[in-house]
This record gives sequence, structure tokens and C-alpha cells, in this order.
Amino acid sequence: MATTVLIDPVTRIEGHLAIKVEVTDGKVTEGRCMGEMFRGFEVLLRGRHPMDAGQITQRICGVCPISHGTASIFAQDMAYNVTPPDNGRLIRNLILGANYIQSHLIHFYHLSALDFIDIAAVTGYQGEDGTLRSLRDWVNAELASKRLYPAAPFLPRYEAQYATDPTLNLTAAKHFVEALEMRALAHDSAALFAGKIPHATALVPGGVTQIVTMDRVAAYMANMQILQAFVNECYVPDVIGVAQAFPDYFALGKSCGNFLSYGNFPESSSGSRLFPAGVLIKGTPEELKTDVITEEVKYSLFSSPSGLHPEKGETEPAPDKADAYTWLKAPRYQGHPMEVGALARVLVAYQQGVQAVRGEVDGLLAKLGAGPEALDSALGRHAARALEAKIIVARCLEWAGQLRPGEPVFTDFELPDSGKGQGLMEAPRGALGHWIEIENKKIARYQCIVPTTWNCSPKDDNGVPGPIEQSLVGTPVADPANPIEAARVVRSFDPCIACAVH
Amino acid sequence: MKQFDRREFMRMGGQLALAMGLGAGATPRIAEGLEALASGTAPVIWLQGQSCSGCSVSFLNSRAPSPFAVLTQFISLRFHSTLSTATGHLAMEVLHKSLQEGGHLLVVEGSIPAGMPRACVMGEEPMTELVKTAAKNAKAVVAIGTCASFGGVPAAENNPTGAIGVPDFLVKEGITTPALRLPGCPAHPDWLVGTLAYVLKVGLPELDKLARPVMFYGRLIHDQCPRFADYERERFAEKFSEDGCLFKLGCLGVSTNADCTYRHWNRGANTCIKAGAPCIGCASPTFAAKANLPFYLKGVASVTEGA
Repeated sequence: MATTVLIDPVTRIEGHLAIKVEVTDGKVTEGRCMGEMFRGFEVLLRGRHPMDAGQITQRICGVCPISHGTASIFAQDMAYNVTPPDNGRLIRNLILGANYIQSHLIHFYHLSALDFIDIAAVTGYQGEDGTLRSLRDWVNAELASKRLYPAAPFLPRYEAQYATDPTLNLTAAKHFVEALEMRALAHDSAALFAGKIPHATALVPGGVTQIVTMDRVAAYMANMQILQAFVNECYVPDVIGVAQAFPDYFALGKSCGNFLSYGNFPESSSGSRLFPAGVLIKGTPEELKTDVITEEVKYSLFSSPSGLHPEKGETEPAPDKADAYTWLKAPRYQGHPMEVGALARVLVAYQQGVQAVRGEVDGLLAKLGAGPEALDSALGRHAARALEAKIIVARCLEWAGQLRPGEPVFTDFELPDSGKGQGLMEAPRGALGHWIEIENKKIARYQCIVPTTWNCSPKDDNGVPGPIEQSLVGTPVADPANPIEAARVVRSFDPCIACAVH
Repeated sequence: MKQFDRREFMRMGGQLALAMGLGAGATPRIAEGLEALASGTAPVIWLQGQSCSGCSVSFLNSRAPSPFAVLTQFISLRFHSTLSTATGHLAMEVLHKSLQEGGHLLVVEGSIPAGMPRACVMGEEPMTELVKTAAKNAKAVVAIGTCASFGGVPAAENNPTGAIGVPDFLVKEGITTPALRLPGCPAHPDWLVGTLAYVLKVGLPELDKLARPVMFYGRLIHDQCPRFADYERERFAEKFSEDGCLFKLGCLGVSTNADCTYRHWNRGANTCIKAGAPCIGCASPTFAAKANLPFYLKGVASVTEGA
């Protein structure tokens, strides 16, 4: 008999997401993603000064504002026909790279790890580590108190099977606390060039406003070296530890089998990128074509026409629309749902033979005794993020070394009366596109298709479910009152609903 | 630590009631709330309306005390969408039981879609209703960030959801729980942690007429600007990344109250104007409000055209 299980809200993600699954004989047979918050950025941007977009769209998301800021200034660079100088390009990469590190760390340790590790294991800690002792003493004092919910926000939690290896539990708990400091250090590093973060003011079309000074370069590199040690010595091994404790999740969470990457981190003004653009349709590589991207809205709370390319996109909210179940549109590539994110970037780069990625992926698979097919899974997404962090932190150190003090960071431009631009890049969560159209020096149209719009998409006009909806099918749910398996699969995508709906 | 007696809390309660434009009748209730907060056991419930989670992320950038110290030594964070281990129905159970118990400090991040309640829903309940319920028996409400304080970007001109700030929403709904504003996009972690610490250890900080703590929002950014001397000498930057006062590029430090130029962001790393970026007025009540008041002046005919 089928049971309907509602996970609402899905906490420990960004924003307002609800998941509804039908469970038959202990397995999910159907999943629904419901994005529950709408602000209408594309509507309120119309009629504004085009440069406002770089600041306003950062407010789409406080976790990846740099991605929106970057996509917007890429679109504006194109519309204004301006190319940033090398320093400007490098500083943009340094800001974005540092925010990737903070985003991946917060996702693994603070959003996902508590689904796997047993935080209660600290109560019996006998060792001498200061962090673990203070955590133990706090948890024990809380549990002994008469509080309604002791040790909040870390407890209560689903009744479920958590990791049993005491070393894994204690190591991950210690790193949970340390990662709070590390992600803040990554943000400090971004701010050295961004002015502040979240919501960087130094990102502008034509480059950046922050000039290169050697004290900033040195501070950035010193921070990045600390982060590199944490990523390589804690983050990557902890992901492997969780993977070894929960090997089932290499077989769970496979989505639609299609992957999309716009490519990320420009390596030169001519357009080559550290992570290349590309598409995989059921394993077959294709070159990225942007004219085949559409957004469908049959099941979305919008009355605007369905199937439009984002250059012609419209956003007309219809909060009472019958049969619609989410504020997300359903983006499609040549009609296909596409998974985006670190896994898509890594698979596309691997397929195209990018050496840094091949080496890391092959090394990890050998360590786990798994084949490449294991990557297309819930654990594969965590692993792809960790490997990517390792590659990016190393490259950030090299980019910082290429900065030239005294040379320009910004190329000036004229604001045109009219124009169009397309800004394609990769947010930590996946392929991000901004499309701007300018008339009379004002924004005539602005559309965003955001990573979680792809991943958390509802069914399209043909009734084909989105990637996360597909990934839930087949997931076991042992106890409908504690559907942790479904929650683990959904969180492996690192959903961001503020982004997805905007 | 300084200990206060009941009379002290009554005095501070009266001060806050005044700042909020509430009658003297609200004083005992506010005093009781401050007393509970000062005992260091006050549960905190953090709700997100139309938010980007940027103020939550910014809170995690707190230097001292660290966010972990805040969670384990200052407050009992009962509910926070991004941090709570509890998920699904369990999360809603934690929220509702905590609300029934009452006596909490309510932190709200993000605006309220007053004109379109369907635009923010959690646990099948509209956020408009959840915020009302949570605010009614809260000891006090902290509107964190510009969206919660004044509406912010979601409330910008032509927005489709009728977004408004939390204090205005509460007044509209006839809810008299006192509400502080900590604007900023995002709010600086010190502004939240400093306010919490002040309330917990000392009492109610002095507030301005918009219920912002004067210790953080008492002065204009312009008056504390590292490029103030450039302004005085009329040395103006004509394009981004140049030395000089950023006024001609659109800097809104002249009309924005906050202390970021002194305090710096991200644990001292930098601040917008120091980075060559004009202040966009992100802590201002009118942040992003009007389409005809752009952040930058490039191509805006009346000011710099032809430059």
C-alpha cells in the first residue's frame, strides 16, 4: 500500500523546500519538489539601471551571492562590450573560488554531516581534545537540563541508523566545529578583494573596484594555505569516511543521467575555463548549445507562456494556479531535464580529459574500490564537491600569484542605449545563467536560470519529473515517520530555493 | 556580570516601549522579556521569510564570540531552518511546541509577503501566519537585515508580492510585541551578536527613532569615511578603482547610517569604500526601493554624462 510522506520543511538547505514522496513496499515510487518562496526579482528588475542588476541579483542568495554577481557582470560585460584586464579576471576568480570553499564546507559539515554522523557520540568522549571536551560538556549539561529541547539546534533529529565508528563520529564532530572557523576564513579571503561578503560590492562590469596590493595578496595566500590544509587533510578524508560507512549511497540518488556544465573560472580573456563547458546526455558528450534551453511552467505557479528561451522569458506569478505545485519553473535542455552541480562539472571535465580532474577522480575511485558509475549517486555528489574544492583551492593560490600590483583591475566602458548579454558560469550548486536586455539605458528584460531551478525542477509540460524528483524514485524509506534516506538524497544536491525561485 | 533588579528591567522596558511608539501599558511585558533574556536561558526562534539566508551566513562570520560560542553559551537556538538538525514534521513540532512554551526571542530574517501570502510557506503554513503566532508571545522581535527591517530588495518598486518589513507587518496586524531593527544587507554579525550580548549582559541599548541601536547606527557612513579627506579636498574618483571620494560614482554613504567603515566586514578583512566600491546604502530604509535612484551614476544624464 502506498503511503504519502511529506518532508516539510527540508531544513539544513538554503530556503523553503518541501518534498513529498509516495512510498510503496518501503521504496519511493514518486517524488515531488515544492519550492515555497517567491520574491519576483525578474519582475522588479524591469525599468532599473542595468548596473543595479549586479547588486540586486546578489540578493537572490546569501550563500552564493558571488555567483549571481559574477553571472550578472558577465552578462553586462557582453552587453557593454568590455573585457576586464587580467587582474580583474583573476580577482573575480579569487573571490568566487574562496566562496566555493566556504559553500562546499558549509554544505558538507553543517548541512549534511548530521544526517550521517552521530553527534551524540561526544557524550562519552574520554580524550583530551579541547574542542571535543567542550562540546561534550555542553551537550551533557544540556541533556541534564530541564529544557524543552536540550542541545538545540543539533537535537532532536530523526530516529535512524547513524555512523557507529567512534573515530569517524568524533573526528567529524571536531571538524564540524573547526569548519565553522574555516568557512569564515574563506569568507575573510573573499572579502579581501570583494569589500564584503555576503553581497560583494567590488564586483562591477569591466572588472573589479579593489586594486591589487601585496598585503592583500599575501593575506589571501596565507588564508588559502590554511584552507588547503583543511580541505586536503580533513574535508576529503571525512567525505571518504562517510562514504565507507554508508556505501549504499553510492547506489542511491541517481537522477536523470543528463549533466550540464557552463564551465567556470576563466583562465584567459579568450574564454577557456578551468572547468570546461559541456553536456552529457545519457552518457553521450555534446557541445554546449545555449539556444536549446527553455523553461516550462505547466506545474509552476506562473501564468506566463511555457517553453520560452530565457532571452524571451517572462515571469508572471499566479499563486492560485490549479495543478501547479511549486514556485520553480522547469528548465529543459533540448527538452531534457539536466542535473547540474559539482558532479556535472567533474563528469564533463573528466570526459573531456582535464588532467587535474582525471587524476583526482581516479585516485578517489581507487581508494574506494569503486568504478566511475558510482559517481552518479548521492555520495558521488559529496565526493565531487570535495575533489573540486581541492582543485580550486590549489588553483586560487596560483591565480593569487599571478596578480600584478600597479596594473589595472578595471576597464572603463560606455553604457549603451540598448544591448543584450548572456552571463553563463557555474555557481557552487551548478550551471547559472543570467540574461539581460537593455532598452533606453534601462533593463527591459532580465531572466535567471539557477542551478537549483534545474535540479529541483517540477515536472515539465510532458509530465517528465525533474532531476531530484527522479533521484528519489527507488530510495528506500524504512520508517515513514523518519524518512532520513530521502532527506540524504535531497541534501546531496545542495538545494538552494532562494536561488531556484528568485 | 552586572545584576539588575525588577525595577531596572521596568525602566528599560519603558525605554523600549517608547522607542517602538507603544503605550506605557506594554512596559511590564517588555520588562519581563528583558529579564528572561538576561538570565541567559532565553530560547531563540529564528524564522526566515522572503530571505536569501545572507544574514544567517553573515552571523556565521562572527569573530568573537564565535558562532559556536553564541550557540552554546549565549542562547538556546530552538529553531533555525538552515541549522536545525530536526527536519520535516519534527522541525515543525519543535517550532510549535517552542512557540506554545513562549518566552522566546524571535529573530526574523527576510521580508513578509503581505500582499501574497502564498509567496512564503513553511510546513504548509503561510509565513504571514507563522510570524504572527511567533511574535504574539515572543518577549521581543529582532528584525535582522534590511528585508526584515524595512522590506529591502523584495519590497523594491514593482515587486509582485507586497513585501514589507516585519515591524510594519506587526503594526498592521495589531501585534504590540516590541521589535528592534538591525538593517544591513546583510546585517553585520557584530550588530546581532553585540545587540544580543548587550541585552543579555547589560540591558536595553539606546535606540533611535527607527528602533535601531544607536551604538551601531548612530552615525552616517560619510562621517566615518576613510575617503572623507578626499571629499573635503574635492578629489573625486571619476571611474572605478581610482583614488578619491566615490560620491560621483554614486556613493550613498552620505545618507546611510551604519558603522561599517570603522568596524570593517569579515573579521576586519575589508569594507566596501576601502575596496573602491561606492556604498550602495544597503542598511538604509530606502535600500533598492526606487528604480529611479540607481546605485551607480554611469550613464545617468544629469550627473556625469559626458565624463
